[in-house]
Amino acid sequence: MLKTLIEAFALISTWEVIIAMLAASVYGLVIGSLPGLSATMATALLVPVTFYLSPIAAIATIVAASTMAIFSGDIPGALLRIPGTPASAAYADEAYAMTRKGEAELALGAGVWFSAIGGIAGTLSLMILAPPLAEIALSFSTFEYFWLAFLGLMCATLVARSSPVKAIAGMFIGLLVSCVGIENPGGVPRFTFGITDLFGGIEPIPALVGVFAVAQVMRAMLTPEPPPIPKRKFGSIMAGQWKLTKKYHWQMTRGNIIGVIIGVLPGAGADMAAWVSYAMSKRFSKEPEKFGTGHVEGLVEAGASNNASIASGWVPSLLFGIPGDTIAAIAIGVLYMKGLNPGPTLFTEKASSMYAIYLMFIIANIIMIPLGIIMIRLASHVLRAPRSSIMPVIMLCCAVGSFAIGNNMFGVVTVAAFGIIGYVMEANGYPVAAMVLGIVMGTMIEQSFVTSLIKSDGSVLPFFERPISAILAAMAIGALIWPVLVWLWQRLKAASPATSPR
Amino acid sequence: MTKITRRAFAASSAAAAAVAGFGFKPALAQAYPARPVTVIVPWGAGGGTDATARIVAALLEKDLGQPFNVVNRTGGSGVVGHSAIATAQPDGYTIGMLTVEISMMHWQGLTELAPKSYTPLALMNEDPPGIQVPSTSPYKTVKELADAIKAAPVGKFKASGTGQGGIWHLALVGWMQALGLPANQVAWVPSNGAAPAMQDLAAGGLDLTTCSVPEARAIIEAGKARSLAIMAPKRNPSFPDVPTLKESMGIDYATGAWRGIAGPKGLPADVATKLTASLKKVYDSKEFKDFMSNRGFGTVWGDATEFAGFMDKGDAQMGEAMKAAGLSKA
Amino acid sequence: MRLPDQVTGLFLVGLGAAAAYGGWLLPPVPGQPVGPNIFPLVIGSGLALCGIAITFGIGHTFEEEEEIIPLEGGQVRPPTGKLYGLRALLPPALLLFYVVAADRLGFIITAGLIVYATSTALGARWKLSLPLAVLAPMGIHLIFSKLLRVPLPAGLLSMPW
Repeated sequence: MLKTLIEAFALISTWEVIIAMLAASVYGLVIGSLPGLSATMATALLVPVTFYLSPIAAIATIVAASTMAIFSGDIPGALLRIPGTPASAAYADEAYAMTRKGEAELALGAGVWFSAIGGIAGTLSLMILAPPLAEIALSFSTFEYFWLAFLGLMCATLVARSSPVKAIAGMFIGLLVSCVGIENPGGVPRFTFGITDLFGGIEPIPALVGVFAVAQVMRAMLTPEPPPIPKRKFGSIMAGQWKLTKKYHWQMTRGNIIGVIIGVLPGAGADMAAWVSYAMSKRFSKEPEKFGTGHVEGLVEAGASNNASIASGWVPSLLFGIPGDTIAAIAIGVLYMKGLNPGPTLFTEKASSMYAIYLMFIIANIIMIPLGIIMIRLASHVLRAPRSSIMPVIMLCCAVGSFAIGNNMFGVVTVAAFGIIGYVMEANGYPVAAMVLGIVMGTMIEQSFVTSLIKSDGSVLPFFERPISAILAAMAIGALIWPVLVWLWQRLKAASPATSPR
Repeated sequence: MTKITRRAFAASSAAAAAVAGFGFKPALAQAYPARPVTVIVPWGAGGGTDATARIVAALLEKDLGQPFNVVNRTGGSGVVGHSAIATAQPDGYTIGMLTVEISMMHWQGLTELAPKSYTPLALMNEDPPGIQVPSTSPYKTVKELADAIKAAPVGKFKASGTGQGGIWHLALVGWMQALGLPANQVAWVPSNGAAPAMQDLAAGGLDLTTCSVPEARAIIEAGKARSLAIMAPKRNPSFPDVPTLKESMGIDYATGAWRGIAGPKGLPADVATKLTASLKKVYDSKEFKDFMSNRGFGTVWGDATEFAGFMDKGDAQMGEAMKAAGLSKA
Repeated sequence: MRLPDQVTGLFLVGLGAAAAYGGWLLPPVPGQPVGPNIFPLVIGSGLALCGIAITFGIGHTFEEEEEIIPLEGGQVRPPTGKLYGLRALLPPALLLFYVVAADRLGFIITAGLIVYATSTALGARWKLSLPLAVLAPMGIHLIFSKLLRVPLPAGLLSMPW
């Protein structure tokens, strides 16, 4: 063990690895922080570069860039209300509300600090618990995934501050968007209207960029330049975080655990972890009414969960070659390309390389703190720059970013269309974040539902028979009827004036 | 050492050509390729097709001395990229990697594109489907499995590996037909690719998968599944323990997912010949062989005519399987 | 663009019904008890139900009094003219312009025009928008085309790098 660890250290302490890691970190931070460019795109564009690097340096660039880009996707979310990943869409409104109160640095500081802690917690779980976590991942069949996706979708109503009916409607619109394409249970074109480009369906990322970034520029067209946001002095970013850590240590731990568990389940990934954690934070908070007004509690839990899931998401990738999300899929490709074939032999025959990957994760999460602080300081100048110089650059990033992911102009069309959809939805009180959640979860819920029915020959019993499935079903149904019970209880209390709290 | 001499030879012959062509317009006289070449990949970065294309492009670059830039043109489930290759200028500066989907999608009425829309250059790879069962499965050989399938009612056994009408689904249909069984004797559970199917196999949700053995390798090595046979004429050297269908059952059925390089229709003959010759060198190189065997990918060579014939044969086979499964629109 | 809830609600009813109908029309898959039609049916019905609820104002009481996004600025009322609302369509229109023109004009020129138009529409003087229209496309081109090898169209004006 110690010997392998020393070997691993030797592997990563070469100039090539160190330089690759630093460069990739800066690259990930910059790309992730540009609105319209996503972490997935940042990782995909690295593949040609990794081709020319040594195996460890190649993995180092992917690890560093994806870790940084996921965090820095929070930056435009907080400063401009343009989240960089579907994960940060869950809490972009909250972080933006903090910015409006002049607490941008605190919000982003919480992002970097709790992300780093989450990332390290996730990595430790990857090191210590990989085999049992892998067992969890492999015990999930489509029946369990159905309930998991169902639970994820229910978060839509919890995170939005609008009418729950409109939030559900927004989620349904997202699910409808996910119906487009031929990657459905029948393999037939569905809602493609004869357009070849729609065969592959609509990806969450261009839709996300459209409904947030383009719609934001559209709103700017109709509103006058806002007054500058009040600048408040509050000393060091990190001092504030230490206080938060002490105050919200339980939320942080819960976020880490949820993130690790959701992360190891392939297909769920960081997006769902952030949503579930934010929703849980609100549900169990002592002051849920503050959520959505610029309250840091939800950011702590979601940030802690988000990055924990990224690290633990490598468990199924490394052990079985099953990607947790799009970024992991690219990472697996790079692993194969470099001869580090995923599989249990990676843990035995190439243990030092495995430990090198662990170490790189921990290092990436540690250097994320200073680099992230520098990035936050730099990026917060955006708040003082005139809107007429920021918005045009956002437009360019949207165009290039949506093109670059598949070198396909149709991505730009998608972004433009979703700009209009997002603008109209927002203006009428339909939360666009709920729609993004619907698009992210749509394929998973349909696939798991239909394939489960095919496997059970149309019977719904197995949805409740398998042990884990039964537990998840009970949770989902409980969460569904709980609000109704609370509402009934309050009606009853209100009916008897003696016990009325007012 | 040989490489250096080859390069030196290429350089000197290029110089000779330049001298011989003195007086003509330099752009015309310059031997192909005179500028960077784009290699279109219809699938995303990080996948198996992308990796194969990148190694081929890097070796072509080394051989022909001009950059070969890989461009992933994704979208439309592969249709967009395939059509970008077909509709490019036939000047040799845009080529691409075709995948087996080109002989499948037109049967489903998804596109007009077919193997005949291209100038085939070389076949580089073919991966046969395997037959995998969970490690808890009672079937130790493919014969036992086939007998159990025959004895069971229609649709009792569930298989997966890819989406409805995907290559591994058609492989299953073809195998069923070779056994003299109806196409739906084993129910197909559509999945989003081989990895989720293998996971569900390990989770106990499926009876078998028909994806390729390299795709199943990690789960097999984890002791959660085993491969009973491959549908290929001969064993894969990376997995010498897995018998072929012919060996274990005497069935002469073979198919596979392949990848090859092609250009748009009407590529000039001299350019095509040069590219095919260079691709042959790439195919024979140690780098390519090492790379492919490390990933467990099968290597199969076919020059332009062989590749064309191979695609025609595969196209007809796919059409038959599609019709049997009731998926064909043609 | 704020429409009454009845309008958006009825639109959702229509959309949901269309989706359910479209799903219902899809052919069943041979050998599968459930096919690609079930999901659009469920989604469409759910969406239509939500639409009905919204039309009748169910759940309206939960809505916050304030705007979901606080109006940028707050005090200053935006000028209201007949065509003023159409300005919002400028960003998507510019993106579509990029799709149509980029291959012919090239990235630098198209991007420059987009930057200039956006910046001017947001009230910038030429002293800001013109240098921005020159520098921003060049910067983006340098990062993406040179460093990341994204094939941005060269068009009429190619960059020296």
